[in-house]
Amino acid sequence: MAFISSGYNPDKPMEDRITDIGPRKYDEFYPPVIANNKGKWLYHEILKPGVLVHVAESGDKVFTVRCGGVRLMSTTHILEICDIAEKHCDGYVRWTTRNNIEFMVDSEDKVEPLVQDLESRKFAAGSYKFPVGGTGAGVTNIIHTQGWVHCHTPATDASGPVKATMDALFDDFKDHRLPAQLRVSLACCLNMCGAVHCSDIAILGYHRKPPMLDHEYLDKMCEIPLAIAACPTAAIKPTKIDGADGGKLKSVAVKNERCMFCGNCYTMCPAMPLADQEGDGIVLMAGGKVSNRISAPKFSKVVVAFIPNEPPLWPTTVATIKKMVEAYAKDANKYERLGEWAERIGWERFFEKCELDFTHHLIDDFRDPAYFTWRQTSQFKF
Amino acid sequence: MKHETPLLDQLESGPWPSFVSDLKQQAEKRAKNEEGIDFQIPQDVVEDLLGVLELSFKDGETHWKHGGIVGVFGYGGGVIGRYCDQPEQFPGVAHFHTMRVNHPGGKFYTTKYLRELCELWDLRGSGLTNMHGSTGDIIFLGTTTPQLEEIFYEMTHKHNQDLGGSGSNLRTPSDCIGQARCEWACYDTQAICYDFTQEYQDELHRPAFPYKFKFKFDGCPNCCVASIARSDLSFIGTWRDDIKMDQEAVQAYIGGEIPPNGGSHSGRDWGPFDINKEVINLCPTQCMWMEDGKLMIDNKECTRCMHCINVMPRALRIGDDRGVTIMAGAKAPILDGAQMGSLIVPFMRAEPPYTEIKEKVIEPIWDWWMEEGKNRERLGELMKRQGLQRLLEVCGFDPDPRMVQEPRSNPYIFWKEDEVEGGWERDVDKFREKHQR
Amino acid sequence: MHPLHIFSEVLQMALDYEESKTKLIEGLKKKSKSKTKFYFNDLAKILEAKPREAKKVVNRMIIDGHLEYWSSGSTSMYGIPGMGKQAAAEHED
Repeated sequence: MAFISSGYNPDKPMEDRITDIGPRKYDEFYPPVIANNKGKWLYHEILKPGVLVHVAESGDKVFTVRCGGVRLMSTTHILEICDIAEKHCDGYVRWTTRNNIEFMVDSEDKVEPLVQDLESRKFAAGSYKFPVGGTGAGVTNIIHTQGWVHCHTPATDASGPVKATMDALFDDFKDHRLPAQLRVSLACCLNMCGAVHCSDIAILGYHRKPPMLDHEYLDKMCEIPLAIAACPTAAIKPTKIDGADGGKLKSVAVKNERCMFCGNCYTMCPAMPLADQEGDGIVLMAGGKVSNRISAPKFSKVVVAFIPNEPPLWPTTVATIKKMVEAYAKDANKYERLGEWAERIGWERFFEKCELDFTHHLIDDFRDPAYFTWRQTSQFKF
Repeated sequence: MKHETPLLDQLESGPWPSFVSDLKQQAEKRAKNEEGIDFQIPQDVVEDLLGVLELSFKDGETHWKHGGIVGVFGYGGGVIGRYCDQPEQFPGVAHFHTMRVNHPGGKFYTTKYLRELCELWDLRGSGLTNMHGSTGDIIFLGTTTPQLEEIFYEMTHKHNQDLGGSGSNLRTPSDCIGQARCEWACYDTQAICYDFTQEYQDELHRPAFPYKFKFKFDGCPNCCVASIARSDLSFIGTWRDDIKMDQEAVQAYIGGEIPPNGGSHSGRDWGPFDINKEVINLCPTQCMWMEDGKLMIDNKECTRCMHCINVMPRALRIGDDRGVTIMAGAKAPILDGAQMGSLIVPFMRAEPPYTEIKEKVIEPIWDWWMEEGKNRERLGELMKRQGLQRLLEVCGFDPDPRMVQEPRSNPYIFWKEDEVEGGWERDVDKFREKHQR
Repeated sequence: MHPLHIFSEVLQMALDYEESKTKLIEGLKKKSKSKTKFYFNDLAKILEAKPREAKKVVNRMIIDGHLEYWSSGSTSMYGIPGMGKQAAAEHED
């Protein structure tokens, strides 16, 4: 391949440099029906799972067909989305905050051909490219982080468990049978570069082994004070180790019982890797939400302390999630979010109905707020 | 394909779109190269990505290393360095850096623009993206170090497009769909998001904060972008006057002519709509009732939770005296536990040029945090350490019972000397005139 | 915005650029035996300046090539270009 210059001159990086211009302005990309009716929408309705209509004061309507998108997406796939948008939507398209794709048309007769087109497109191996759904009282797309595709500290993969989980929840992506919307999210380590801590169900990658210490290389690859400073629990101390050649090596020691397995030391110091096939796996959390509807926003609670990674299909994780979804679907009241349901019936009942074991790991012992999660009333259920 | 992927292949069946199938079609497209692109990074980059991912599926461990040096000149954020730890086996992904591309508000696109981005990224990168990253950016996933400046140059010169944030700076602000297509948006989320993004470009690209800082804009208390849970400053649309009512439409809901909650419960027979059970009795403040066949709301008692409006969007509409409620300090659990945003401004107008929000909220808070924040301390943690009072003092806000769930239950008030009559300096001899030693 | 806006900011700044530059480089070199990457607050401390004033100097030193960024992805640090072990460890030397 021959290097193609963009015009950038590496010897003079400031020459003709353009910076600080920000993103493209949103209204360049509005379809006309959106531009014409912005701020003047009257109401909306979900005509069927995945198809919405918004009606404006002017009488204009915009019909939206929502379909599942995969966060990890190739240009081939994006260009196919462009083809569809040009064929049906005058070249406009948008994404939702949960990685779904929305195609908008301005009249009802354009909806069915669009839906048919989307549903007819499949990958060579058989999965849908653009399944229509993700609206209302159902399961929408799982938001997630990078996992093994790109991240240096993941405790699980992201795209893999998401695909396996969405396959199991697929019927609920295309249906409105749940008591309320159910938001599932995945973060591949506790640093949560994608926040999942307020999800109805959160899948969280978790390491359980402290970092290994590559003593021979540690002082060559890392600046020890930086590794020490990276530790949020102050578990790392400088030390001297006997080297293979009989000399003393500068290195670090880790107070293992203080390690919270965050991997921040590994980010600063590649000689402190912590990934481990047996040690790493998944924590399941449940009952969070961000909406202020009826009850205040809530954090998700840990309901399963650990499930081993089981690539490629993560069957135990998927089955456990499915069990929770079914118990919720069966038992919750209309409009009740998973966390509201758990609070109404009591967490002791939640574990019973979801057939989950309660282990000591689920009792909070991390710093001050732990105390406030212990039962401080004689009211509980047998 | 260059590498066998028996484990990944199992993720090609099942109905949900398979990322593996997508990666494979991308790998094939690059291999065929029908358009005759002079790829600037290895042609087999996607095949090697599949290979290294298969290896991770086998090992149960990642094969990526972090890189902190790479970036574009003059910017401290927007690029995340990545290197494969098996570069001999997978040379195509030996360098596999990410670029964060600041997405447009509402994530609306024209296909013309998307095609331009695809063309750039096929030429100079892997052609793999995230649409979108968690914060909102378009993520360009996988390129080599020499391409970073070239991509940035083309982006800024040809596409009028800048990078997003990473590291200790303002992260790419993001918004909900807002007034563009939602009847509940109490302010123009896209307008304010764009305005702040432009105003604070220096903060976005040149890190000088103790840690990351996020703005997110939710048009209403339904919080579709989750601002209340994950942004240091969360702007949530609200109103102060009455919910607008259409009694005829209320009757249409009661009569079953309009499906409740915009048809969102159509997958199950929940029985006929019962306004008492589904709306009035679920109202958290119990401020609604039926009177002579009419729905009544004691608006003064309403806390704008959105439930009744969500259930009956054609009968109930948000009020007209609109603005934002501002919450501060939300963050994910790392390190000291998750924090939800705490209310610091019950109501403020959100109209251009947003001077009050910038000068009375954002900038004083940044000055305080930049001076007092410890390294890697989020705003919420500083608030916890120094107290909500301190934030109010910094902004010059009067305390308001709306800012707390309940008053303190301990009396250990740290009185300041100037709050106490006569101050703290006292004459012990005078005391002794009345009290023996 | 043109990047030269940084220089116009520098013209208005309270700190003298040349003086501050020397102070910062010397300060960082003094500490470089133990570490070569620093948080922004460490730089402000060496400069004995408020963060916003310090930032103007630091921004320009980046453009002039006297400082470089190092990012963990979530946090940013600063160092003198070429110093430290990161470049070698990341194969970007």
